[in-house]
Amino acid sequence: MSIVAELLTKPGVIAAGEYAYRGDRFSYRGDLTESHARMASIMCRATTMSTHMQGEIIAALSSRDFPPVRGWVMRGPAYTICVVANVFCLFDNQTGAINPVIAFMRQALAHDPMDLI
Amino acid sequence: MVTLEQLMALPGALAAFEFRGSGELLDHTIGPEEIIDKTVLDLLAHMCAANISIATMQARGWEQVTDMRGFYPVRQFTLIGFDWSVIVSGLRREAPKTAGETSLPPFMGIVIANEVADYEAAYTALEEGT
Repeated sequence: MSIVAELLTKPGVIAAGEYAYRGDRFSYRGDLTESHARMASIMCRATTMSTHMQGEIIAALSSRDFPPVRGWVMRGPAYTICVVANVFCLFDNQTGAINPVIAFMRQALAHDPMDLI
Repeated sequence: MVTLEQLMALPGALAAFEFRGSGELLDHTIGPEEIIDKTVLDLLAHMCAANISIATMQARGWEQVTDMRGFYPVRQFTLIGFDWSVIVSGLRREAPKTAGETSLPPFMGIVIANEVADYEAAYTALEEGT
């Protein structure tokens, strides 16, 4: 089962997808229209690239080891967006717990290449 | 309102901090593991302030375009690293902001070890008293 398909089996996950780092394609499954999924993938990709760049700056400015940013989570009152590497998911806060979702994404994408290509 | 000491009592807490909306570090506590220092915390605070602002803009735009409510106001923004995560929240600023106050309380943040992280508990703690 793919990571996206497995994510959709987690309680609370409404939609999930993945995008190419270079921005020329995306795919998704779940309860979103094509145009909304496209917009979500663009926002997720932009934030991922931005946080990765910011992490590299901190690493350059710090005397300590500062490994690359792997992902990010934006939590709203009803919904949460969770992104690890190039996989994103939309999560309903009322119908599931976010801990297993983050843990699964971290584990499933732990060895995903970090060159953003 | 949650304190830095209360945040440090959460599972896997490595550091807790407060920062201005403009990103400057105001106060912090670093755990005995010392995996992070004040300089990195200050840089992280700037990074998180920037990203929570961008996320807020995106959440408002998304709600307007999709008519799908429940993303704004952004309650927490989390950065996931290899070994640890950073969770920040400005939720306690919402009530005074709505009331028209110009002086707002600082953002709060916590650094937690991924292996034992309880993100839900951290979100609940950061929402305490809001």
